[in-house]
Amino acid sequence: MSAPILSVRDLATSFFTRRGEVQAVRGVSFDVHPGEILGLVGESGSGKSITCMSVLRLLKAGGKIKSGSATFEGSDILSLDEDALSDLRGNRIGVIFQDPMTSLNPTLTVGEQVMEAVRRHRKASAAEARARAIELFELVRIPSAAKRLNSYPHEFSGGMRQRVMIAIALACDPKLLIADEPTTALDVTIQRQILALLKDLQRRLGMSVILITHDLGVIAEVTDRVLVLYGGLIMETAPVRDLFAHPAHPYTVGLLGAVPDLRDDTHKRLTPIPGSPPNMLSPPPGCPFAPRCPHAMAQCKAALPPLFGAKHQSRCWLQHPDAPKVGAIHEVAA
Amino acid sequence: MYSYILHRLGMMALTLFAIITLTFFLMHAVPGGPFVSERMLSPEIAAALNAKYGLDLPIWQQYLNYLVRILSFDLGPSFKYPGVSINSMISAGLPVTLQTGLLAVICVVALGVPLGVIAALNRNRWPDTTVMFIATLGVAIPSYVIATISIYVFALRLGWVPTFGLDDWRGYFLPVFALSGFWISFVSRLTRSSLLETLDQDYMTTARAKGLRKGQILFKHGLRNSLLPVVTVLGPVVANLITGSFVIEQIFALPGIGRQFVLSITNRDYTAIMGITIFYAAVLMVMILIVDLLYVWLDPRIKLTKAAA
Repeated sequence: MSAPILSVRDLATSFFTRRGEVQAVRGVSFDVHPGEILGLVGESGSGKSITCMSVLRLLKAGGKIKSGSATFEGSDILSLDEDALSDLRGNRIGVIFQDPMTSLNPTLTVGEQVMEAVRRHRKASAAEARARAIELFELVRIPSAAKRLNSYPHEFSGGMRQRVMIAIALACDPKLLIADEPTTALDVTIQRQILALLKDLQRRLGMSVILITHDLGVIAEVTDRVLVLYGGLIMETAPVRDLFAHPAHPYTVGLLGAVPDLRDDTHKRLTPIPGSPPNMLSPPPGCPFAPRCPHAMAQCKAALPPLFGAKHQSRCWLQHPDAPKVGAIHEVAA
Repeated sequence: MYSYILHRLGMMALTLFAIITLTFFLMHAVPGGPFVSERMLSPEIAAALNAKYGLDLPIWQQYLNYLVRILSFDLGPSFKYPGVSINSMISAGLPVTLQTGLLAVICVVALGVPLGVIAALNRNRWPDTTVMFIATLGVAIPSYVIATISIYVFALRLGWVPTFGLDDWRGYFLPVFALSGFWISFVSRLTRSSLLETLDQDYMTTARAKGLRKGQILFKHGLRNSLLPVVTVLGPVVANLITGSFVIEQIFALPGIGRQFVLSITNRDYTAIMGITIFYAAVLMVMILIVDLLYVWLDPRIKLTKAAA
């Protein structure tokens, strides 16, 4: 396998609030390989967005990266100075945010918002930047591109605004695109269009994509490899087919059980995971999922399990050679 | 755009008409008259004076006469100062008031906005707390206190500026400072809170994610979006400042129209009250129209339609 374009190691990020330190990310390591779509899945507060915003150092007030490294194209993003970092952002790494309704500046034309990204990183005249913006609008399939450049965000629908966001993110041909829940705020039909567009663009431009979502359907549809996050930790990581066919962590099994199956017409109820996510102000010393896990043992509450396995990894004591065998949980190969 | 402005001007004429009517009848409802303060006015002379200025006519007749005269932009003669017309009274006082007022407006914009920006960018650090402490004092302390204290310190003690009058260019410092102190404080507080709110918006994160430079992020994306509330208050502030302040003009002995207006009320100088009120109202309405036009330039989501007016 070729060298990864992004290597994140032992990333830990906390938010310092009045009530104390919220440990949002507690030691996450992963690689992104050239041309792959990596999915980050987890529920709200699992640390999936914070992981990516830490890599870009775009944390909101109070957020602080405590430790770890993020090596992109040979340099550690987390130790770059502000100037070098801003040369990278929007240039080598593009970002798409969740809510296209609020992520565009309401007082500038969409064309200007695309062109300023082009002109920030490329030597381009006004006319060249404009031509590039039209090209980008055509790439993300905004009809009558040249005309729409002069429109303001409020004149666009949610789906069209998200296309503008994608155009901005792709302005300088990034090697890595980070898409933070790009379809969550959109209608179901528009979601599919945007996903198809993202997948198509990834294939044509050959970039890598990190796709953050809480929607397993999205994961199944577009990603190559998946990280399942819970309580600020990676719980399971596997190639996408493996994850759905042989889930090796009780949390993943729980997530899959909570997805409706349209082919099944026995009208059986969805199985929710009982309980609620851990309080990250004082995360439990053991496995964060233990209080909600149907297979929890004394060991789970006592100590945090390591990631077992190689290509398919699971952070679960059931993967330990001495652990009892549980039918629903697949074993990972060492 | 042009039809909108025409529409607004029409509405202004209507508003002005309502203001004229209200002021006219309210003013006549107040006891007393322009000549009651004259000593020992014999009934014959009083009757002659009333007849001369048309005050013996029924009130509706006086009202109609006034309306007819106003249509030719003639605000009439002063009842108090024989031979002085209200038009000339305003044009004599206006330059003084306008000069100090405009200088105060410049101070409000040139100091208030940057101070607010500095405070917002240094949230909860010393530049912020310093600016906000002074701004809170500025909002809380009345302008006549600022005026008196600054006269004592800068004119009497230090002798840097004259105590009153505008004969010397240094004479402008204290009145302008006293006039603008409150509004500088007010605008800096408003700019700070508005900019802080803008800095928290998602599109500011987008701007950072594009790798834009700090200055671009602040001025192009941040400031423009946070200036809307500031522009909203600036309209009435400008109208307020360029129409003068009785207290400040009194303290610094400036011959402006702010002072003239208050004197005309105590004198029951009917035409002067009417004239200056109309002038104030017109200035205020023009400023509000300018603010509304500025909105459209600042925020393209706001569309000018007659329905919105």
